[in-house]
Amino acid sequence: MRPDLTSLVAGASILAVGVILLLDAEDALDLRLSGFVPLACAAIGAILLASGMTRPR
Amino acid sequence: MTTSDASTGVLRRDRQEGWIGGVAAGIARRFGVDASLVRLAFVVATAAGGVGLAAYLLGWLVIPAGDSRPTRVRIRTGRAAVEVALGTAFLLLAVLLTFRALGIWFSDAIVWPLVLIAGGGALIWRQSMGEREPRPAPAERTPEEIVRTESRRAVLAISRTGLGIALVVAAGIVFLQATGALGAARDVLFAVIAAVVVLGVIFAPWIVRLVRSLTEERAARIRSQERAEVAAHLHDSVLQTLAMMQRRAGDPAEVAALARRQERELRAWLSDRPAPGKSGTLAGALEAAAADVEEQHGVPVEVVVVGDRDLDAAHEAVVAAAREAMTNAAKFGGGSPVDVYAESSDARTQVFVRDRGPGFDPDAVPADRRGVRESIVGRMERHGGRARVTSGTGHGTEVELVLERS
Repeated sequence: MRPDLTSLVAGASILAVGVILLLDAEDALDLRLSGFVPLACAAIGAILLASGMTRPR
Repeated sequence: MTTSDASTGVLRRDRQEGWIGGVAAGIARRFGVDASLVRLAFVVATAAGGVGLAAYLLGWLVIPAGDSRPTRVRIRTGRAAVEVALGTAFLLLAVLLTFRALGIWFSDAIVWPLVLIAGGGALIWRQSMGEREPRPAPAERTPEEIVRTESRRAVLAISRTGLGIALVVAAGIVFLQATGALGAARDVLFAVIAAVVVLGVIFAPWIVRLVRSLTEERAARIRSQERAEVAAHLHDSVLQTLAMMQRRAGDPAEVAALARRQERELRAWLSDRPAPGKSGTLAGALEAAAADVEEQHGVPVEVVVVGDRDLDAAHEAVVAAAREAMTNAAKFGGGSPVDVYAESSDARTQVFVRDRGPGFDPDAVPADRRGVRESIVGRMERHGGRARVTSGTGHGTEVELVLERS
C-alpha cells in the first residue's frame, strides 16, 4: 500500500517539534520564541504543502 | 505552449512561459501550481539575505532548458491551490524569521513592506490577468449552474482583489510606522480626503451625467446590434421563404411545405432552441446549410471542410453568413455549381463560397438590399470577424469569411 504523504509529513513535523521541545526541556538546547515561531511555521507550511500537492487535480 | 515534461516528472526550465530564465515557470509546470506563486516565493525569499536570488541563479544553472514539445498540465485549483499557497507562505515566513533571527537581514522597514507588497501585487496581478480555471462549455451547464458559477467567480474576484489591495495598503502602513512617518502621513491623508470630498461635491453632477450617458450609449449600441441580428435572421429565413413561396405559387403542396418548415424554424428561433436538424459542429452545420440551399434552389453545392470545431455563437454567425452567401450564389449564379471551402484551426476559421455565375458590382447594390450588407458583412463584424466579397461581371463571385480567435 502506498503511504499517505500528508500523514507522513505531518507525523515527521510533529516528531521534529517534539524532539526540539524535549531537548529544550532537558536544557540541551536553548530554544527561544524567536526560534520556535519559524519552527512552527515550517511544520504548518510543510503539512499544508504536502496536503495540497497530494490532492487530486 | 510550455516545455517542461510534466508527464514523466522531469523538471525543465520553461523558457517560453518564463519571464527571465524560465526557472519559476518550469517548477510551476512540473508541480502543477500557479507560476505566480513560484515567482512570488523567489521574490520574497530574496528578501531573506538574497536567498531567493541565489536559488534562482542556481536553478538557472542546474535545471536544463525544456524542449519545444507542447504538453498540457492541469494547474491545481480550489482547495488544493489554497493549501499549496498557504503552505508556501508559511514556509517562506519560516525562512524569513530564521534569517532575521540569524541577523542576515536588511531591515524590518524594508523586508516586511516588500513581502506584503509582493503578496498583494501578485494577487491583484493574477486577478487582472483573467480566469484560468477551465469553463465548461455552455451546452453542458444548466442556467442554475451558470448563475452559481458566475456568482462564485465574482466572489472570488472581489475577495482576491480586496485582499491584494489590503496587503499593499498594510505594506504602506508598516513602512510608514517603521520609518516613524505615520503621523505626518496621517495629516496628509486627512488633507487628501478633504480635497477628494470637496472635489466630489463640485464634480458629482457632472460625473453622474457622464456615467449615465455612457450607460445609455452602451444600451443603445446593444439594442442596435440586437435589432441588426433580428433583421438579418428575418431576411435570411422569413423573407427568403416568402420570396420562394411567391415563385412557386402554382404548387400549393410545395407552398404549404415551405410554410410549415419556416414555421418550425421560426418557432425554434423564438424559443431559443436549436433549429430542427441543426448540427453542433462547424462541418455538420455547413453541410446541413448546403443541403438546405441545394434542396430549395436546385443548384448543386459542394462542401469541403478541413478541421472541425464545436459551434459557439461566433461560429453560428459564420455558418449563417455562409448560408446567405450560398443562397445568393444559388439564386444569382446562373445555375452554376456553388463551391464551399472551410478551414478551421485553433487560431482562425475561414470559409470561402464561390460560384462561376455572371457576377455583380458590389458597389452597385441598392442600399435597401440587406443580403450582403447585413446578413454577411454586418453579421461577421458584429461577431468579431470580417467578410470580403470579390465579384466582377462575368467572373463569378467569391465570398470570404474570416473569424480570428483572440
